[in-house]
Amino acid sequence: MIKFQSVKKVYEPHNVVLNNINLEIKPGEFVSLVGLSGAGKSTLLKMLTKEERPTSGEVLVEGVDLADIKDKDIPYLRRKIGTVYQDFKLLEKKTAFENVAFAMEVSDTDPEEIDKNVPQILAVVGLADKVDNFPEQLSGGEKQRLAIARAMIHRPTILLADEPTGNLDLVNSYDVLKLLLKINELGTTVVLASHDTNLVNTIGRRVISMDKGKIVRDQTHHGRYVI
Amino acid sequence: MTNFKKIIRSAWTNFQRNGYLSFGATGIMALTLILFLGLLSLQFLTSQVVTSIQDKIDVSAYFTVDATEDQILQVKSDLESLPDISNITYTSRDQALADFKARHAQDQLIQDSLSQLDANPLAASLNIKAKDSSQYASIAQFLENTKFRSVIDKIDFYENKGVIERIQNISGGIRNWGLVATFVLAIIAVLVTFNTVRLTIFNQKQEIEIMRLVGASNWHIRGPYLVEGGFYGLFAAAVALGVFYPISYFASGKISSFAPEINLFGYFVHGIAQVFLLVVVLGILLGVVSSFIAIRKHLRI
Repeated sequence: MIKFQSVKKVYEPHNVVLNNINLEIKPGEFVSLVGLSGAGKSTLLKMLTKEERPTSGEVLVEGVDLADIKDKDIPYLRRKIGTVYQDFKLLEKKTAFENVAFAMEVSDTDPEEIDKNVPQILAVVGLADKVDNFPEQLSGGEKQRLAIARAMIHRPTILLADEPTGNLDLVNSYDVLKLLLKINELGTTVVLASHDTNLVNTIGRRVISMDKGKIVRDQTHHGRYVI
Repeated sequence: MTNFKKIIRSAWTNFQRNGYLSFGATGIMALTLILFLGLLSLQFLTSQVVTSIQDKIDVSAYFTVDATEDQILQVKSDLESLPDISNITYTSRDQALADFKARHAQDQLIQDSLSQLDANPLAASLNIKAKDSSQYASIAQFLENTKFRSVIDKIDFYENKGVIERIQNISGGIRNWGLVATFVLAIIAVLVTFNTVRLTIFNQKQEIEIMRLVGASNWHIRGPYLVEGGFYGLFAAAVALGVFYPISYFASGKISSFAPEINLFGYFVHGIAQVFLLVVVLGILLGVVSSFIAIRKHLRI
C-alpha cells in the first residue's frame, strides 16, 4: 500500500529532515508514527500527498512511484488519500454541510451525489444534528470529526492524521481516536502521527518511532510509545 | 457547466472584495487601452491626411512667355511617353488669363490693372499627375533634362513633397513614442493586476490550502484567479470604449472643421464590431496574462 525506499529529504543547505527511510505499510494497517516535534513525522506524511518531494529515494502508493505522477494528476492522488490536521483546516464561513460539500464540489462531483453523501458521512462521524452549524459553533472534538468526515468523503484508501488530537482534551481525543479505529475497521489504512504517549499506548497496534529524521524503532504488534 | 458558473461567481466575488485595488487595476488597464485606441486614431488620421495631400500633389511646369505652343505640346507628348503619367493638362496662356479673370471676377482692382496691360502676363503651364506619388521626383528630373528646359520657367512640386514628408515624419514620431508609451503602460498594467491577483491569492491562502488537500482539480484552484484577471481586462475595455467614443465624437467635430473629408468618429462607428472585439480581447488578454504570472509565482499546486 505504502512504501518508502531509501527516502532522504534535505532542506538546503544541509538540514536533513528525513534520512534513509525504509518503510512498508500494508493495506488495512493502523500505524502510529511517534516522535518529538521535528523528528520528521509531518514531512513523512506530506510525502504521501506529494506536498513534499524526496531529495532522493522513492515513495510508492499502491505500487505507483509518486515521482511518476504529473502535477495535473496530483488532485487524483489526494482524493485517494484523506488528510486530517491538528488545526482542523475548516472554512469558518461555511457550515458543517458546506465544508464537506466543498470538498466534493471542487472535485467535480454531481450535486445530487453531494446532497446524498454529505448527510451520510456526517451521520457516520456523529454530527447528524450539527449539519447546519458553523465551525465556531462546534466543540474541538466535533470540529475534528467534521474534518475527518471531509477527509473521508472521497472514500479514500488511506487516511493520514497529523496530530489530530493535538488541540483536544482527553475525552475528545479518545472520541477522535475511536472514530479513526472505526474507519480503520471499515478497511481504510490509517497513519496517525502523534506525540501523545497515553493515546498511542491504548491503541496496541503497530508503532513506528522516529528521531531526528530516522526510524529508530518499528514495533509491529502491541507497540508502545517509548522515548 | 455549474462548475464554470461557480468559478465565474467566485472570481466576481474576488473582484468585488478587492474594492480599490480592482479599481486601480481596471483604471490603469483602461488607460493603456485608451492610449492604444489613440494610436489607432493617429494611424487613421495620418493615412487620411497623407492620402488627401497626395491627391493634391502634381508637378506643374510653367513656361516662359516666349515659349511657343508647339514646344509646349512637344514637351507634353514627350511626357506622355513616360509610363508613370496618369494625366497631363495643358493650360495655354489665354486659358490661364481667362481662369485668372474668372477667379478674381469680384475684385475690381485686379480687373482694372489687367486691362491696363498690353500683353498677357501669365505663363502657359503643364499640370502633370503621376500614378504614384513617388514618381514625381523622376518626372521633375525628366523636365530638368529635357531639351526644352530653356523655355521652362519654373518646375513646381517640391513644396508639397516637403509637406508630405513632414507629416509622415511627425506622425511616425508620435506613433513610435505612442507605441513605447502603450508598451510601458501595458507593463505597468500587468504589474498592477498581477499584484492585485497576488493579494487575492494571499487573502485566500487557507481556502487554497484546503482545496489542495481535498484534491480539488487544478482548474478549480486556478480558474477563479484567471477569470478574476479576465474581469479586470473586461471592465477596463468597457471603460476605455466608454471614454474613447465620446472623445472621438468631439474630436471628430473639431477635425472636420478644417478637414471636412476626414470623419474620425465615422471611421470608428463603421468599424465598431472590430474595435470592440480588438479592445475586449486585448484587455482580457492583459488581465489573464497578469493572473497567470501571479498564479505561477504564488499558487502552489
